[in-house]
Amino acid sequence: MDKQTLGKKLFRWESALVLLLVFEVLVFGAINPKFLMPRVLLGSINNFMSICIVSLFVTFVLITGGIDIQAGSIVGLTSIVIGVLWNDGGLNIYTACLVGLLVGATCGLLSGFFVAYTGVQAMVVTLGGSFLYSGLALAVTKFSSTESYKGISGFPESFTAIAKGKIFSIIPNQLVIFIALVLFAYVLLHMTKYGRKVFLCGVNKNAAEYSGINSRLVIMSTYVLSGIGASIAGILLTAYLGTAKTDLGKEITLPVITAVVLGGTSNLGGTGGVIGTALAALLIGLLRFGLSMADVNTQYLDIPVGVLLVLAVAARFTGSNDKIRSFFRRFRVLFSK
Amino acid sequence: MKENKPDAMLSIHGITKSFGNNAVLKGIDLDIGVGDVLALIGGNGAGKSTLMKIIMGIHQPDDGTIQISGKTVRLSKPAVALAHGVYLVPQEPMLFPHMSVEENVLMGFSGNRNELHKRLVELIKHLDWKIDVYRKAESLSIAEQQLVELLRGLMRSAKILILDEPTSSLTFNEVQSLFAIIDDLKKKGISIIYITHRLTEVFEIANRVAIMRDGIITLNGSSSEFTREMLVKGLLPDNTKEAETIKESCYIDRSTAEPTLVVENLCGNGFADISLKVYPGEILGLAGVVGAGRTEFVTTIFGRDSVRSGHVYLNKNEITGKSTSQVMEQGLSYVAEDRFLNGIYKISNVAVNTSASNLKNMGRFLLNFREERKLADRFIDAFRTKVTGREQVMGSLSGGNQQKVVIARSLATNPKLLILDEPTRGIDAAARGDVYAIIERLKAQGLAILLISSDMEEIVELSDRAMTMYCGRINKEFQKGEISQDSLMSAAFGIVERSEINE
Amino acid sequence: MNKKFQLPRAATAILFIVALFLGIGAINPAFLSVQNIMLCLNSSVVYTVVALGIAFVIITGEIDVSVGATLGMAAAGGGTYIRDGNTGTGVLAALVIGLVIGLVNGFGVTILRIPSIIMTLGINGIVRGLIYVYTDGKWVENIPFEFKALSQAKAFGNLTWFYLAALVVMLLAYLVMTSTHRGRYFIAVGDNAGGATLLGIPVVGTKLTGFILCSVFAAVGGILYVSRVGFITPIAGNGYEMKVIAACVLGGISLTGGVGSVVGAAAGAILMASISRVLVFLGLPSEYDNTITGILLIVIVVVDALVQARSTEKVRKERLAAKTNSVLETAGEAR
Repeated sequence: MDKQTLGKKLFRWESALVLLLVFEVLVFGAINPKFLMPRVLLGSINNFMSICIVSLFVTFVLITGGIDIQAGSIVGLTSIVIGVLWNDGGLNIYTACLVGLLVGATCGLLSGFFVAYTGVQAMVVTLGGSFLYSGLALAVTKFSSTESYKGISGFPESFTAIAKGKIFSIIPNQLVIFIALVLFAYVLLHMTKYGRKVFLCGVNKNAAEYSGINSRLVIMSTYVLSGIGASIAGILLTAYLGTAKTDLGKEITLPVITAVVLGGTSNLGGTGGVIGTALAALLIGLLRFGLSMADVNTQYLDIPVGVLLVLAVAARFTGSNDKIRSFFRRFRVLFSK
Repeated sequence: MKENKPDAMLSIHGITKSFGNNAVLKGIDLDIGVGDVLALIGGNGAGKSTLMKIIMGIHQPDDGTIQISGKTVRLSKPAVALAHGVYLVPQEPMLFPHMSVEENVLMGFSGNRNELHKRLVELIKHLDWKIDVYRKAESLSIAEQQLVELLRGLMRSAKILILDEPTSSLTFNEVQSLFAIIDDLKKKGISIIYITHRLTEVFEIANRVAIMRDGIITLNGSSSEFTREMLVKGLLPDNTKEAETIKESCYIDRSTAEPTLVVENLCGNGFADISLKVYPGEILGLAGVVGAGRTEFVTTIFGRDSVRSGHVYLNKNEITGKSTSQVMEQGLSYVAEDRFLNGIYKISNVAVNTSASNLKNMGRFLLNFREERKLADRFIDAFRTKVTGREQVMGSLSGGNQQKVVIARSLATNPKLLILDEPTRGIDAAARGDVYAIIERLKAQGLAILLISSDMEEIVELSDRAMTMYCGRINKEFQKGEISQDSLMSAAFGIVERSEINE
Repeated sequence: MNKKFQLPRAATAILFIVALFLGIGAINPAFLSVQNIMLCLNSSVVYTVVALGIAFVIITGEIDVSVGATLGMAAAGGGTYIRDGNTGTGVLAALVIGLVIGLVNGFGVTILRIPSIIMTLGINGIVRGLIYVYTDGKWVENIPFEFKALSQAKAFGNLTWFYLAALVVMLLAYLVMTSTHRGRYFIAVGDNAGGATLLGIPVVGTKLTGFILCSVFAAVGGILYVSRVGFITPIAGNGYEMKVIAACVLGGISLTGGVGSVVGAAAGAILMASISRVLVFLGLPSEYDNTITGILLIVIVVVDALVQARSTEKVRKERLAAKTNSVLETAGEAR
C-alpha cells in the first residue's frame, strides 16, 4: 500500500506505538496476571470505546488543520435524543438511532460550515459548539417525563446486546465494531480520492483550490464525519450502559485530542493517519484500564496520559529541531575527543 | 585591480554554514567599505539570503569571522546585530498586520513617542512618499509594505543596511526615489548591501559588485570593471550546456485558424477592458511590471475571483465566471505565480503533487494508485526532473525541479490552453533552460500557451506574439519581430507613443 | 492624514455588554438595579482574574488549557495552609504553584517547541491528577471565617475589594501593554513573530512571560476561589479554561494572536459570569446556560469574522481599482 505524505516517518511512529502497546500489555500483565486473560484484555475496550471511535474521525478534522472540541457534547446530545425519542416519543429504538446519527451530522455540519465558509477559527466555533450542544442536550430533557439527572433506561435487550454482547463468548461486539470502523476510516482516508483531498487541503489549502478542489466543502465534510463519529459513540455507549444521559461524553474531549496527536497527526494539518490514532487510543485506554487493575486510584489516571503525551510530542518535535540537534552534536563531539 | 580601501565597515572571512547535510555557504570572503553600495547578485539557492541572515544574527555561522568597523563581533541574535547598526530590510515585508504604519515602524524603539512620531513624519515628507501613518498594515499593498520596511531601516540610522530585492514590487517613480535615498545614504557614509536580480540596477546604483553561486563568491570587484555579459557568465555554472531551443518559425494563419482562448472586454478586480486571443501552437507573452494586473487577470479567468463584465471563451465554450474545477474541465490549466504559496504541497511527495489536479481521472471512489504512479513517472521522464523517485518529498527538491512538477500537474489534465505565470521565477539558470525546452515542446505539440513574465528576456526568447499590460489594461501589442526588450520594458512602464493608444 | 477613528475591539465588547444589559433590563427592569449589576461584577471576579492571565498568552498567539487545573491545584494547595491558619504561607504556596506550572508550560512551548495546545493539554491532565494525589480525593474544608469574609468585604457601594483590585490590575496591565516599550512586545509577537524577531524583540522571553503570568493569575484566581466558595473539591476549576477562553474571544481577543486587549478579557468575563443571572431574570430555566453561551459565542465570532472578511475584501478591491484607474492619468505621456 502506498503511503503518501511522510510515509516512512509515520510508519516508524506507528511501529513505535505498536511496540509501546505490547510493552504496556506485558508490564500490566506482570503486575496483575489477570490482565492477560483474553476475556479481560479484550473486554477492556468496552471501557474506553467512545474515545476510540470519536478519535478516529476527529483525525480527519485535524488533518485539514482544524480542531474539534465539541465531540463530547455531541455524544451526550445523541444519547438523550435517542432516549427521549424512544421513551417519550414512542419511536422504534433503531429509528431513534438513525435520528441520532442525523443529529450528529447536523451538529458537525453547522460548525463545519462556519469554519469552512466564514473563516472563523475551528477552536472557537467548536468551543461554542461544545457549549451549545451540551446545552441543547439539557433542553431536550425538558421534553421528557424523566428528570434530567436520572437518565432514561429500560432499553430493549436486542439493543443493549449489540454493545454488551460477545462473539465466541470472548471477543466483545464493540471490539469488532471498532475494528470495522477502523477499516472503514482507513479506506476512506488513505485509499479514496476523498481522503486524498482531505490531505491536500491540509497540506496547502491554496494549492488545493488551484488544483480545482473545493476545499471548503471538503473541510466542512470532515466536521460532519466527526459529528457522525460522535453520534456512533453515543449510540454504543447508551446501549452498553443501558441508560441515555446528557453528559455521557463529558470528559472525552481531551483524551480524544491526545489520542489523535499521540497517533502522529500534527495539529498543523497535512500529516496523520487512522492507524496511528487507533493505536494511540488503544494505548491510552489500556493505560487507564491497566492502572485501575493495578489498584491505582482512577483519578490519578490522567497523570501518566499527560506525561505520555508531552514526552511523545516533545521527542517528535525536538527531534526535528535544529538548535537542539546541533546542541547534541556538540555534545557528541565533546565525548569523542 | 584592487584600490586601497579605507577601513572596511563590514568584513566577512571564511563563513561557512550547513543545514543538516546541505552545505549552503562554503567559505565566503567579503569586504564592504564605508559608503559602499555593494550589489550582491546570485541565483536561487546561491546562499544570499542565508548569508544575510547570518549578518543579521538570525543564523549562526559554522565557521568564520565577522568584523564590523575592525572589531570582531559575534552576532548571536538580531538584537545584537541591530545594536551594531545592521538592519535587514526583508524581501517579503514582515509587518504587523493589525498595527498601523507608525506602530510598525516605531516598534522596538524606546523613547518619547511624540518625538519619534515627528521624526517619522519628517522622514516621509523628505522622501516624498505618499504614506498614511495611521493606516493598518494589512490594508497596504505589497509595494507600500515594502516602503514601510524601508522606513524601519532608515529610522534606525543603520550603519550597514541590507536591502533584499527592494524594488521587486515598486513602481518606476518609487524606484527612482529609492535610488535617490540610496545616493543620499551613500554620501552619509552608510554601507549598503543591495541584493537584486536586475542587472540594470547594478550599474545604476552600485559601485561594487559581487556574485554568489553555489555558496561561494565567484566575482567581486568594482562595478566599473564588469560588463553585463561578464555578470551573466559569473552566474552560470562553468559548463552550462546551451539549452536546445527549437527555434522554428511558427506561422499561424490567423484568418482561418480558430483561437483556443478568446477574451472580450473582460473587467474584474485589478484589470479592465482586456481583449485578446491565443491560438493553438503559439505562445502569447504577457509582459508588464509587478502589479500590472496580469495575475489578477488570469486568476479571474481561472475562477479565483469574480468577473465584473466581459466574456471568456475556450474553444468556443463560454467559461466566463465559471469555477476553477469547471474551467479546468473545459481544458484550461494555470501554473500559479507564487509557487510556494499556491503551487506546491511541500510535505507531500512528487506523485501526490503531480496527480493533485487530476484526481478526477484517478479512479472512481478509490484512488487508483497505479495510475498515479504511472502519471508521475511519465512526467519525471519527460521533463528529466532530478528526483530520487516519485516518492521524494516535494520540499526537498530544488526550485527548478519543483516547478517542473507543478507544470506536470497542470499538464496531467490534458489542457488545451496553458497559462504560465512567472514560470522561471526563483529557479537557477540550468533548470530555466529545461523549462524553456518543455515550453517549446508543448508549443510544437499544438498547445496554446499564455506566458506571463516580468523577465523581458524571457518574453523575447519564447513568445510568438506579445502584449504588455500597464495598470490593469493592455497598452501595446507586438507581433513577432517587433518584440524587443527595450520596447517591452518601455511599454511595461507605461511609456507608449501617443499614436498607439487605443481610445 | 487624519487619524481614522477605529473602535478598539475591547470597546465593541463593552458596548455589547452594555447593550445586552440594557436589553435584559427592558424585559425585566430589576436586572438593571445597582444591586444586581454589582452582583454580576462581584461574582465574575474569579473568571476575570483568570481571563486576564490567559489574555497574555492568547495575545502572543498561544493557548493555555491548563488554567482550570492550575486554579484547582493552587486552591487546594493554598487552601490547606489557609485552613490550618497559615494564610500567608497559603497564598505564597499558591503563587509558587502558579509560577512552577507557568514555567513548565513556557519551557515546553518555547524551548522544546511543543505546540501550546498539546503541551498545556498534557500538563492539564497531569495537574488534575496531582490534585487528587495531594488531596487524597478529599475535600479541603473548614476555611476560617475571616478568610471567607474577605470576598464579601465591600470597597464602596456594593463593589467588593476583590473586584476593585481586579479592575486595578486590569488597568495596569492595559497601560503596560499599550504604552510601555516592552509591554508592546506581547501584541507584536502575536501579530507576526517572525517580524518581531527581525526587530530584535525577544519572542521566546515574551511568550515565556505570558505563560508565567497566565498561570500565576490562575493561581491568584485559586486563592480568590477559596475565599469565595469556602471549600475546595478535587474538581475545582474544572471547565474554567473553556469559560475564560470564551470570555477572551467574546471580548475581542483573537485566538491567532496580535489582536485585542485585557480590557476585552475582563468584559468577556463579566459576560460569561452573568449569563446564568441573565437567564434567571429572563425567566428561563438554568438548563439553557450552556446553550446561550454557545449561541452567543458562535454568533459573535461569526459576525466578527464576516465583518473582517468584508472589510478586507473591500480594501483589496479598492487597492486593485486604484491601480487600473491611475492609467487614465498617465495615458498619453509620450517620451
